[in-house]
Amino acid sequence: MAYDYGSILQFAPLQSAVDEGFWHRLSSLKLNQLGIDDSPIPITGFFAPCSHSLLSNHLTLLSESLPIEVRRDSSTPLTTKGNRNRCAVPGILYNTNTVESFHALDRLSLLKSEANKIWEDIRSGKALEDSSVLARFLLISFADLKIWNFHYCFAFPALVLDPPATVVGLTSASQWFNFKEAESLFTAFGQWRSSDLTSDIPFFLVNIDSSSQASIKHLRDFETCQNNGGKLLFGFYDPCHLPSNPGWPLRNFLALIYSKWNLKSVDFLCYRENRGFADLRLSLVGTALIDDPKGFRDPSCMPNPVGWELKRGKKFYKTINLAKSMDPTRLAISAA
Amino acid sequence: MVLSQKLHEAFKGTVERITGPRTVSAFKEKGVLSVSEFVIAGDNLVSKCPTWSWESGDLNKRKSYLPPDKQFLITRNVPCLRRAASVEEEYEAAGGEVLLDNEDGDGWLATHGKPKEEKRDEEENLPSLETLEISRTKVVKSIPNYFGGEDEDDVPDLDDIEETDNVVGTDPATLPLTYQIAHEPDDDNILRTRTYDVSITYDKYYQTPRVWLTGYDESRMLLQPELVLEDVSQDHARKTVTIEDHPHLPGKHASVHPCRHGAVMKKIIDVLMSRGVEPEVHKYLFLFLKFVASVIPTIEYDYTMDFDLGGPSSQ
Repeated sequence: MAYDYGSILQFAPLQSAVDEGFWHRLSSLKLNQLGIDDSPIPITGFFAPCSHSLLSNHLTLLSESLPIEVRRDSSTPLTTKGNRNRCAVPGILYNTNTVESFHALDRLSLLKSEANKIWEDIRSGKALEDSSVLARFLLISFADLKIWNFHYCFAFPALVLDPPATVVGLTSASQWFNFKEAESLFTAFGQWRSSDLTSDIPFFLVNIDSSSQASIKHLRDFETCQNNGGKLLFGFYDPCHLPSNPGWPLRNFLALIYSKWNLKSVDFLCYRENRGFADLRLSLVGTALIDDPKGFRDPSCMPNPVGWELKRGKKFYKTINLAKSMDPTRLAISAA
Repeated sequence: MVLSQKLHEAFKGTVERITGPRTVSAFKEKGVLSVSEFVIAGDNLVSKCPTWSWESGDLNKRKSYLPPDKQFLITRNVPCLRRAASVEEEYEAAGGEVLLDNEDGDGWLATHGKPKEEKRDEEENLPSLETLEISRTKVVKSIPNYFGGEDEDDVPDLDDIEETDNVVGTDPATLPLTYQIAHEPDDDNILRTRTYDVSITYDKYYQTPRVWLTGYDESRMLLQPELVLEDVSQDHARKTVTIEDHPHLPGKHASVHPCRHGAVMKKIIDVLMSRGVEPEVHKYLFLFLKFVASVIPTIEYDYTMDFDLGGPSSQ
């Protein structure tokens, strides 16, 4: 579409959205349980494929993103599985006690340490079993509970391919597939998205056999899919709506694909929806070309990570004030 | 909140505590739903319109009469491209008519289907200049005080800290998103629009579903409930739409007050039956959301576009 042969594949950054309920639960955790303990807290973020042609979806934090009680022995909080509109991804929260320590956080090394977890999960094969770890994220915050101000900043760590991947033939999925394939693919996606077992699995394989029948497979089935002929694409739930660019989750997916299977040419599919059903017109297909990126051969080193949310104006963080719903004085006045 | 409203809330709360939930169906007679009928209708909505899902909500706020995993319904990140006030004139011009009325003469407007949806679907994915223009001119800023402009004096100002390149870095594979910068250039093709989380709870007192709106501004920051009223049909703003505590979510949210829901649903059901259509309880929420669309005409939540009020239902 917008690309000439071999232009750099650019990914639209993921954006964040934090529900008011998240800050309410964090406040009560802080006041009732954590006190001045500022050790990192495992949290859960939620995302879903883009569901509107004009609007991207966000990585969303809800009150359920935080555990009701922080238990140090469990590494991940409990989440409800099988909600198609809420693919759970693991994250970590560094909530500081003072604004000075918020600012003093070494954001580069925090990013590296989360990216390293992704890298380890890619190398160990864990990412093939639970692909949501590829979308791991990081949140730093300072909750000023005296005035109900919350400063925060997200990072979505991505392993950089250097030199960057290039893209050819990026086009709407409805043009890439023939009619019979598209019809079968639509049905296959419908089944994948309506089953509790698969609806919240964000990375998968799309296999089109020689008789144009489509099937969606788990990543761990790569070897069998590769050997049965036909077309094989790497699909993911794309929160981005842009017709010209894939969304952020494709970055670590490409890192996984290159690292695990050493593929230099990757057909990818950005899965997007309209009204809760696969929208092949909005979904994209393209081929990413990967040219011997640095750091992928040497097991002792990790590719460079990027991923802090972009600055808004001069600030690197966002601020929300919830005095209106948290300040007891104001609540008393509004209830009087 | 006015005193009479307060008193009524207190009364309603007491009645809800001492009476059991409805168990006998009175769907056709009164337009209301029993708890189990609400779950049936909700299940059907979730299966037909998968952008909706059931939520279990806050543990402390769970209602014992509803299944723990089916406390309320929600659809998130629903676009609202224009303010309701600005489209009402277009409705008049398009021949909008009043279908359902009550004795007091302040009845619900008939539904107008999905405004503008069909038109946009035929266009390209890129937002057109026209919609961009509308979204720009109709932008209503959220009140800055709500988002940290207030009471910040005793907090050291971080604004002056220079961003170091090694944190954000320069990465050729990151798509620069111009709209994330405070002063957006005019030539970006990103549509900045309000979005809504629309939720449906079961109101035990009125025995009907109840719709709640949580609004977000163009940069996905929480919208004051008062500003939500701009996206409510002006006939209903502050009358049928009130700002109250959500039964499952924290904070104040705008809500379509359910006091007339039963009566309106009864009228719709009567119309259906007079046309020889047997109303089915699992389709209740489609009918319900269709009439709610007349209250919030520009919030584009999904309730199955081609649902036919008059004929044998298509979904």
